[in-house]
Formats: sequence, C-alpha cells, structure tokens
Amino acid sequence: MMNVIRLSIMTIRLVMRTKVALFFTFLFPCIFLFVYGGIFGHGDPNAMAYMFGQVLTLNILGAGFFGLGLQAVMQRERGSLRRYRLAPVGSLTIVASNLLANYLIQIPVVGLLLVCAMGIFHMPFKLSFIPMIFVLLTIGIFAFAGYGLTIASVSNTMQEVQVYNNLAWFALVFLSGITIPLPALPHWIQTVATFLPATYLVTMFQAVMAQSEPVSAHLPELVTLVVSGFAGLFIAWKLFRWEKEERISTANKAWAFALLIPIFLMGLWMNVYANPSASWNKSYSRMIKQMSSVVSAANGTAGTTLEDFEGAAASQDISKTWQVPMEDVRPLAEITIIAPGANGSQHALRVSGRVPMPSQNQLPVQASDNFVIPTTVKTFSGIEFWIRSDDSREYRFTLLDENTKQGTAPEITLRPSSKWASIRIPAPTQAQGNASPPQPSHLKLFIAPLGQAGDFSVDIDEIKTY
Amino acid sequence: MSANNNASPLVSAENLHKRYEDVLALRGISFEMKKGEVFGLLGPNGAGKTTTIEILVGLRQPDEGSVRVCGLDPARESNELKERIGAALQATVLPDKMTVEEALRLFASFYKHRVPTESLLETFGLMEKRHAHFDKLSGGQKQRLALALALVNDPELVLLDEPTVGLDAMLRRDIYALIERFKSEGRTVLLTTHYIEEAERLCDHVAIIDHGRVVAIGTPRELVDRSGRGTRLEVRLAKPVPAEKLKSLDAVIDSRESDGIYVLHAQPATQAIVGLIHFLEAENNALLDLHIAQPSLEDVFVEMTGRKLSE
Repeated sequence: MMNVIRLSIMTIRLVMRTKVALFFTFLFPCIFLFVYGGIFGHGDPNAMAYMFGQVLTLNILGAGFFGLGLQAVMQRERGSLRRYRLAPVGSLTIVASNLLANYLIQIPVVGLLLVCAMGIFHMPFKLSFIPMIFVLLTIGIFAFAGYGLTIASVSNTMQEVQVYNNLAWFALVFLSGITIPLPALPHWIQTVATFLPATYLVTMFQAVMAQSEPVSAHLPELVTLVVSGFAGLFIAWKLFRWEKEERISTANKAWAFALLIPIFLMGLWMNVYANPSASWNKSYSRMIKQMSSVVSAANGTAGTTLEDFEGAAASQDISKTWQVPMEDVRPLAEITIIAPGANGSQHALRVSGRVPMPSQNQLPVQASDNFVIPTTVKTFSGIEFWIRSDDSREYRFTLLDENTKQGTAPEITLRPSSKWASIRIPAPTQAQGNASPPQPSHLKLFIAPLGQAGDFSVDIDEIKTY
Repeated sequence: MSANNNASPLVSAENLHKRYEDVLALRGISFEMKKGEVFGLLGPNGAGKTTTIEILVGLRQPDEGSVRVCGLDPARESNELKERIGAALQATVLPDKMTVEEALRLFASFYKHRVPTESLLETFGLMEKRHAHFDKLSGGQKQRLALALALVNDPELVLLDEPTVGLDAMLRRDIYALIERFKSEGRTVLLTTHYIEEAERLCDHVAIIDHGRVVAIGTPRELVDRSGRGTRLEVRLAKPVPAEKLKSLDAVIDSRESDGIYVLHAQPATQAIVGLIHFLEAENNALLDLHIAQPSLEDVFVEMTGRKLSE
C-alpha cells in the first residue's frame, strides 16, 4: 500500500511539472466550463447547474481515456515501466497508483470548476450537494479509469489506443447527453444512450444539481458504474504488460467486452422497466424554461405560461411557510416553497404533514389549494405536474371546479418514487346535457396521503395545464 | 560488502531454451558463476545475452531448462529475489521530469534494505545533478544513474546488460572504473557485453555466446591459451600482397587482411617474423609497421565461430 501511495505522489509531482499536462488537467476543463456556462447556458445560473454535470462528466471521461489510459500505453512504449519491473513492485501496484493519482488530481480540478461556476455564473449550490457530488465523482472517476485502462491494456501501440479512445470518446460525448442534452436527441439515440455509462453519470449529476434529487434514487446506475469499473480495473490488471514487445492476443482482447456486460444489462433494464426519459425531460425542460424566463424578462415580454398557486404561493420569499385552509375536522398539512425558480416564476412545493392513528370518525389528512387558469389558456384537459416522494405510500389527487363546485372529479391514486415523474390529473367533467361547458377558470387540487399512520412528504413542481 | 569467494554457485543456468515466435533465441545455455566474481556474457548482438539476463532477473521464463539465482527460482520467487539483486538493463528510461535524487529515493523506498541516497549520489558522481530532471542528463549521466539504481538495495548480485553500449570511450572508462569498484567491494557482477576490451579488463570468467549457445567458457587467459592460435602479429606493408602468401610462411598458422593491416597468428612468433622479413626482401617489399601481441578474446571468438564479434 505504501508503494501505491509513493508512486501516486510521484505521478502527481510529475504532472505538476509538465506544462502540457497542467494545461489539459486544469485549464482545459475551465475552458469547457466557460463554453457551456457562458455560451450554451447564456450565463444563466440554473442552466449552469444543469450543465455543470456535463462539464464534470466530460472531465472525468478525458481523465480516464486520455489521461490515465493514454499515459499507461505511453509509459509502456517509452520503456519506463521496465525499471519498475526490476524492483519489487507488482502490476497491481502500478495500476492502483495510477488510479489513485488520477483521483487525487481530479479533486482540486472539480473544486476549481465549482469555484468558477459559483463565483462567475452564480450557480445555485447547497452544502447538501457536496456528499452526493463526492459519491458521484468517486464512482465516476473510478469507473472511467477502469474503462480507460482496459482500452490501454488491449492496445498494442499508441496509434491503436488513440483510435479506440477516440471511438469511445466521441460515442460517449455525443450520444450520452454530455454535449447535446438527451431530450433534444431523437428517440432512438435516447435508447442507445441507456446503454452508455456516461449517460448514467451525467444524468445523475443533473438530477442532483438541477433537481435536488438524492443519489440513492439512482442506485441501479451507481451499481452499474461500480461493477463495470471493477471489471475494467480487473481486466486492466490481468492484461497488464510491462514491455511494448509483449503483444496481446486477439483472445485476450475479447476480455475487454466483459466490462460491457453490466452496462448492457443496465441498458436493458432501463428500457424495459424504467422510464429514464421522464427524468431527463424534466430536468431539461426545467432548465429551458428557467432560461427562457430570464431571456424573455430581459426582452420585456411575458415571462411564463405557468400559473402559480394563488396568494402566498406567488411570493418570492423562500422561507415563507403557510398553512393551507383545510376542512375543519381534518388534520392540517403544510405546503412549503422548497425551490423558487428564477424571478419567482416557478416553484417546487413540498406538501408534508402527519397521518394520525386511525380512529372512528377520523377523516383522512388532506391538503388543498386553489389556482387560477390564465386567460390565455382557452382549452385544457386537466393539469399536469412533476412529483416525487421518499415515502412508500400512495397519494390520491382530485380536481374540482372551484367556481361552480360542479362536475365529477376523477380520482388519481399513485405511489410516487424518489425520482421525479410526470402525472396528469384530469379536469372535472360537467354534468350531462350541458353541450358546451365553459372551461373552469379556478381549480381546486386535493392531495390526500393514504395508508398507515406516520409522517408524509411529497414534492410537486411545475404545475401547468395540458 | 566484503569479498567472499564461496565455492557454491550464486547463479546457475542449465540448458536454457527460449523461442520468440519463429526465432530461437537460446539453444541450451548453461553456466555457473560463483559469489564475488565478475562474470561476462560475451557475444555479438542477437546472440542471446539479453534474453539470458532477463531470465535470470525473472522478467522472462525459459521454455526449457532451469535457473537458480541466489538459491531462488526467479520465476516463482520473484519478489524475494528482487530484494537481493540489482539490475541495470539496456537503456534505462525514467519519466522525463523525475529528478536524479527523486529516482534514487523512490526506488530505494521499494526495498527493505536501502543504501543512503547521499552515498549513492557521491559514489556515482551525481551529487551536482541531484536536482536535474532525467531528460536533462547526458548519456553517461543516465547510465551512471542506472547503475546507482541497481545498487539502491545494496544487492548481493548486480546484473548489468550492456552497461557501456552507446557511450564514447571516455564515458566507457568511467563505467569500467565503477564496475571495478563493485568488484573491489566484493560484489558479484554479471555483465553482458560485445566489447572485447570490457570482458578482458573486467571479467574473472567469460562465457562466449553465439546463436543462443555457449561456445566457450573460462577465464580470459584460459580461453586465449586454449585457442592455440599463437602470437598475434599485426603487420603493415609498403605494397599489398595476397594474404594466402603470408599464410604459407614458416610458423604462420593463420593470416587475414583487414583495412590494409595483415593479422597473422604464429607459433613460434620469432620464426614467423624471420620468415616474413625474408619474404619481403625477396618480393622487394618493405615492413612499415609491426605489432606483436598475445591473442585476444576476439581471436578466440573468430576461431570458435568463424566470424568477428562486430559482424
């Protein structure tokens, strides 16, 4: 272990003495940050929060393929590994020290990027993000180091590793949402993206930074990166070669495909059982709307087509918590603004409270509030919004026409997951015989947690008509 | 380290065979070396010297045959063996920006037993270059650093693969002095070379290798005496004559011409010299230069293989 640490320290020292390495390690990621934040994101803080994950993933990919992987082949081609081979130093020590050095170098780079993003682009950032970013960084660096070293271990020459690295790099950079956001890509590319590990990393960064989702909501993706990273490092260790004269056989090259197995299984699972595009669309549309509100406000035009909750919900006061008027006999639930958007135009709402112990004559907890349909919306079928909850309980949603108190309100019951998902609540239908009923101008949304006694909390965001 | 000439072999290689695809690099190399001696593997490029030394340090495994170094099997007890030996293979390469001192400290840190870095810098004349990056060192300095790295663990056995290749004569003599110092310290040294001077000057025992086989083995003196090629006469004449005519002179065993110099092997030498002078008088030719020397390992190599070492 001491040999690993000594070699890692030496590697870091050597990087610090090489101007080209310094440029690509520290300056290059900053250039990307300014391109993404300044040009693609128009300098918008929320856009920066969305794109920060793209910049980090790009950096992790570069370090894995062109830092670590290329360096490994270069050392072998130059013959500098030969001298280590004469000492009591094993191949595992060399692989592990390169991995550790790569990791230790990336930490200050991410710190630098964070400082630039917050200081220059005013990217919103919570302290609670730090452990989650740390987990994603660690797993991401580890996994892509495994992929980079695997490619290096199956390449015989510098030319060969550059071909393989560029193929992998371009596929990952352009098809996994690092350069072009996934929701902006055709559906078939989105399907391909579910089989790319960079997709998991970039979308997890976006979920954490732009939507405040916990990383635990993406456990399958995390496990896939860890397993495939381990597979990559194991293959790199087993196929490690000290000398450039040692050529790898075609049969051994096939081992590289082993690390694709967990990624392939993950892709299949995502396509069959999960709906990743919902989460991708949410964070992307949220970022676009926030950007457009900034742009339109600057142009002096109307800001948004979304309607806010009435009264206090329109407030920009982040700390304000209010109790919604409830039916007299029902326990109160609270609605809190948990993330006001740019210009206060959008809100993530948290509805929380406690379901009491069941007893006779005890009505269920229910929260409700009114909201106004903008006059610009002539027809609509109901309202839709994004929802997530860490509870494993069901919630029932109902809409009523607040003005007429008429109509049949279909009840929607669902169990939200910890990932954001879209839900639609149909508007109340009018009594039969009314041929052309007017669209309601005021709706009342009822939210009722179901199930056993205990605390509940559900987050709702971007309420709009459909 | 004190001199200790133990009778048991420190290195023994028996019937080593090694093939690289369609090239048979070793075809049954066998030799033994004792503790405290300097042993040379002498042969032209491609003879199998480097493959042999790489098998001894455990970098390669023979296809056939057995090898023991310091009583250990290099293939199976590699880490124990590396603690006890030091090696400098051809063209040691380190990262460009690593300094001399860092390299010595780093490599020393891998071993249980270490020689102080200051002492190595002093011994190998690298004190002034201790902070210099590897890419700023001259060829001689790089080679001295390679030798110093081979000694960071105070090894029982030092293996040097062509330690002076690519160096000019002056730098080569510097390296010879360092190897002689190893010898005086009682270290056991195995070196490969294709320089006759190096083998004759430094080695207690020499194994001449050609085409993956040991063609002769012994002390340099024994090899020369065993050759039976007599005294070596190098002659320069005023007018050229066919080498065959010189070979027909009394007491001349062999004659060849190279770059206007005639090399004769004669026994006894005086009889050959008298015959040569009579021949030149009869041919109306003149003797411009005459060197008399004992036969060299080069002569032994030519006798054994029919080729010169440099061919």
